[in-house]
Amino acid sequence: MPSPIALTSPPRQDSIFKKRSPSYLTAMRSAQSYLIALSEADARARVRDSASVTSTPALSLSSSATTLSEDTVLNDTPYDNSDGLAYPTVPPTSEHIVSADHLQFGFCPNENYRYKSAHKPGTKLEVHEQDPPYYIFLTTYMSYLLLICMGHIRDFFGKRFYPALFRHLLPFDGYAPLNSDFDSFYTRRFKTRIDDCFSAPVTGVPGRTINLLDRESKDYYHTFSLTGTTTRALNISSYNYLGFAQAQGGCADAVEECLRRYGVSTCGARLEGGTSELHVTGEALVASFLGQEDALISSMGFATNSTIIPALLSRGSLLISDEYNHASIRFGARLSGANVRTFKHNNMKSLESLLREVISQGQPKTHRPWKTILLVVEGLYSMEGTLVDLPTILELKKKYKFNLFVDEAHSIGALGPHGRGVADYFGVNPRSIDILMGTFTKSFGAAGGYVAGSKALIDRLRLRGHGGTYAESIAPPVMVQILASMASIMGVALPTSSAVEVAQQHPGPAHPSQLPAWMDLPPTLRDGSEGRMRLRRLAFNSRYLSRGLAKLGFITFGHTDSPIVPLVLFNLGKMCVFHRMMRARKTPIVVVVVSYPATPLVTSRVRFCVSASHTKEDIDTILRACDEIGDVLDLKLLPGERWPLERIMNNAAELVNTDD
Amino acid sequence: MSTAIGGSTSALEPLFAFLSYVLIQAEFVFYKIPGSHVVARYVKSSHQNDPGRTVLEILLALFAIRTLLQSRTRADNGEKHFIQFSEKEVDELVDEWTPEPLGAPLTPEEQSDLASVPVVSGANGPRPKLANSGKQVLNLASYNFTGLAGNEVIKVRAIETLRKYGVGSCGPPGFYGTIDVHTNLERDIADFLGTEASILYSQGFSTIPCVISAFAKRGDIIVADRGINFAIQKGLQISRSTVRWFDHNDLKNLEDVLLSVEKERRKRRGPLTRRFIVTEGIFEKDGAMVDLPKLIELKHKYKYRLILDESISFGTVGRTGRGLTELYNVPATQIDMIIGSVANTLNSSGGFCAGSRIVVDHQHINSTSFVFSAAVPALLAVSASEGINILRNTPSILSTLQENVRAIRAVLDRVEAITIPSHPASPIIHIHLRSAPTLSASTSVSAKPPNPATPAPRDAPSFDIAGEERLLQDIVDEALAQGVWTTRARRLRGQELVEARPSIRLAVTAALSRKECERAASVIKAAVVKVVTKRK
Repeated sequence: MPSPIALTSPPRQDSIFKKRSPSYLTAMRSAQSYLIALSEADARARVRDSASVTSTPALSLSSSATTLSEDTVLNDTPYDNSDGLAYPTVPPTSEHIVSADHLQFGFCPNENYRYKSAHKPGTKLEVHEQDPPYYIFLTTYMSYLLLICMGHIRDFFGKRFYPALFRHLLPFDGYAPLNSDFDSFYTRRFKTRIDDCFSAPVTGVPGRTINLLDRESKDYYHTFSLTGTTTRALNISSYNYLGFAQAQGGCADAVEECLRRYGVSTCGARLEGGTSELHVTGEALVASFLGQEDALISSMGFATNSTIIPALLSRGSLLISDEYNHASIRFGARLSGANVRTFKHNNMKSLESLLREVISQGQPKTHRPWKTILLVVEGLYSMEGTLVDLPTILELKKKYKFNLFVDEAHSIGALGPHGRGVADYFGVNPRSIDILMGTFTKSFGAAGGYVAGSKALIDRLRLRGHGGTYAESIAPPVMVQILASMASIMGVALPTSSAVEVAQQHPGPAHPSQLPAWMDLPPTLRDGSEGRMRLRRLAFNSRYLSRGLAKLGFITFGHTDSPIVPLVLFNLGKMCVFHRMMRARKTPIVVVVVSYPATPLVTSRVRFCVSASHTKEDIDTILRACDEIGDVLDLKLLPGERWPLERIMNNAAELVNTDD
Repeated sequence: MSTAIGGSTSALEPLFAFLSYVLIQAEFVFYKIPGSHVVARYVKSSHQNDPGRTVLEILLALFAIRTLLQSRTRADNGEKHFIQFSEKEVDELVDEWTPEPLGAPLTPEEQSDLASVPVVSGANGPRPKLANSGKQVLNLASYNFTGLAGNEVIKVRAIETLRKYGVGSCGPPGFYGTIDVHTNLERDIADFLGTEASILYSQGFSTIPCVISAFAKRGDIIVADRGINFAIQKGLQISRSTVRWFDHNDLKNLEDVLLSVEKERRKRRGPLTRRFIVTEGIFEKDGAMVDLPKLIELKHKYKYRLILDESISFGTVGRTGRGLTELYNVPATQIDMIIGSVANTLNSSGGFCAGSRIVVDHQHINSTSFVFSAAVPALLAVSASEGINILRNTPSILSTLQENVRAIRAVLDRVEAITIPSHPASPIIHIHLRSAPTLSASTSVSAKPPNPATPAPRDAPSFDIAGEERLLQDIVDEALAQGVWTTRARRLRGQELVEARPSIRLAVTAALSRKECERAASVIKAAVVKVVTKRK
């Protein structure tokens, strides 16, 4: 039970005792037993460390606080560092103030491993587009063909010998099947074969590392059962760009305080009894973060698109969509009843010729002029790692007068010198974009989404968007996580500064009046230094991984500044082997593998999502793993200059800082 | 003359020689391709038997090539409506075109509509403090049916979860977003309802559209109630299925529609397609309750699958809040898909679909908002699990809720100026104004049955929507001034299939005492009387 004293915002001191949660309070009989467990764990850790430590060892208490999370401190079995994940390779010295758990947010003090994410004006966007040798395409198609044949053969015999297994796929007792055998063919005969690569259950924080619940299957991945053990793995898969997925630190403390004050829910939709003062505060802060007049927050990222786009458009409007736009945009477009046309991915020529065609032709059949034309693009494409060509689009916008909607689900927080997304990255005025949309799931370690734009438009969407009337509003703890993480990226201005002046500068700091009065952020979050460090580390890691892979000879897609790095495997069968080999390494690494239908048929890929929580050594680990597996799987298909791994690792800073 | 011909043949000789050379070479290359002999033999023999067939086959091949080469995008080029313009003309048209502004500024009425939404200062609950007035009010507006808002046990569990899992799940369920607490909540829901499995979505509103569209495709048949909520309407729209409508909560009419669908299928000799009945347990639009046993009987009789939206009824009716299935004592396995809201009734966030393992597994791969959206934050999933736990262990919550509903209905049912369409056990109570201006329905009731192909009911009564909403808002404002927070049922006017009649919606809660509920009901009654008499 929370004590009433806790409500009056206790002073936050950096003490290890604070890191306990109430469950451990009850688990530990007394403070004494906790202390004993703690000192034992600490001693174990220091014995192991002492072999390699060359610099000054830190104070015992703080060192255990930085290298071990609470659950490992208090575990009966000592944390086994054989996977090399639990402790930084360069241990912190007494000079370093470390506030984060190394398992959740890596310790990486070297200032050389920082980079500023910004577009160099006048340069073209660099895109890796490299075709592999023809035999790769041939074998890829062959493997599809083989799988299709095998699948049909198995279906043919299966239906005759094991009819019970196929009953739900065929008409039965006057009911049509929920999912016919034909419709589910791909799922049954392709995906099921490699189902161990998907939907792996996890526990704990999806930070720098992630704790996988081990599972096994005795029936070729039709069902899984948990074995009861866990595996900790390096996490290069979660959307945790700025590393705010943390259970400790200033943001988590603010969320805890919020839970005590506000509870879990606001009990209803925004217009029907579910509006909290936190929503009002949050929307104002988001608007000033983005440099827009006003913003609207929704409780689910997918629903932001699927409920707002129908409110923007109606019959007689046209939506122009990039061919690789996210499912939520397509969902919203279908609900809107507007006409939809697509152009080739990021191809500005294709876009311009489409614009000329649709404006000159007008609406189909009637040839009436369109009421509105809305161009919907993403800031950063989640499967391709490509950035939108925003400068060119804004030029086209001037000429063709369409409205622009930029979905920044992946780019907000992750791009730009101030983390304000693609507009910040390209150095353009955010108000030249009509609607900015984005989510809080990725960079802010929260959930939900926003749309931002002019006051008149956002007010219209508050009334017309489906969410305001019918969907639950965003939960207070989630809102506070957004407020705290966003404020720490912006930095908070001094209370003495004028609110009007602060509001006028963009990208500038947040004003204290834009945050709840009770929120007490630690100094490193308040002055924005930690937020800046996260932005710089993410930018460095992104470039390092993407360029390192290219130097090793891998074919990657996307822009070099993108935190999403897709490594193309082509062959379907290499997906699961790559995944399993990465997981089976001494330092297990979890990766996301995707193939058709999420990607084109021939370009199955691994998608790395880099995070600020990774250290340079983590990226080294990943490069080393890719290097070894790449040799086995024949993945190094890129012609041109190659560097040996050692050279890449030793010249990381140089590799990142050179211009194209 | 003859020399001229001879001259031309000799002039063409090299050409003929070349052509025959090419022909021989082509034949040589052709026979080098494996399997070409078979083709050649086939063509030869078929030509021998029937020369006309060769022509036909060549035409067929040409047609196939043409079809394959045709663009499958929806470009209008080449269609008869496409007009050719020169570049200059296009430039002129581009210069001429002026789009409408994206969102028109709000009208004064809309502005006051938006401004009338109260903002809660601090925690929301049965007696929240409102930010604009600073007053504490009795809350009959927010969804807090079982009083879980502000529950201390839930708070503690949420904080524990925060300290172990952080806030965000940072990924869709397919890619390391399936946290053990999600699986636990799914199991808790399935156990609570008595189904094989369940699947968790991250927003209540976005659940049912994606459940429907995961199963119902183009060509399938959905029979739906005319009074379904907006989320279901969107699900029907996105599924592109054939929709047939039956009168609101009229199961007699449902049977007629089911019969007519079957007749239609027989007549057309169409293939067997998936067929669904979609309706709500307690309707969000008016609080009416469906007769579940009868519905299940019909579903079995006509071999339909039943999709039941329990967003309001799950967690609010039945002895321990298991919803309509518990109230009517029907096994939940009789319903193919039960959709519920984790937000409305468990005071967390998200939605679920419960059903058989096959139904749930199918959604893991085919439901868009499940596959393409980040999973619910861990602490919200744990709060919901704890909420279920509390409901399971404290049946008194549900009996208190029902007592409070009865207490409020006892007062309001006797008010002359209003009608209440809601079921007596419904925890949401809709209040309509009785004296609707023109009820055309009563004057000309036609004998013809309603048309199942349109969502609009036959002889729909027409309302003065703006006028009624103004009056109802006055009542809401008056009640709020007296310390009782209610809300007008908000609608997306212009976007709904059938415009619902304006109403005030009360959400009864078990967290208020019977006395407080009676007092609140009296305040609403007084407000109604005051506003209605003032109008007269």
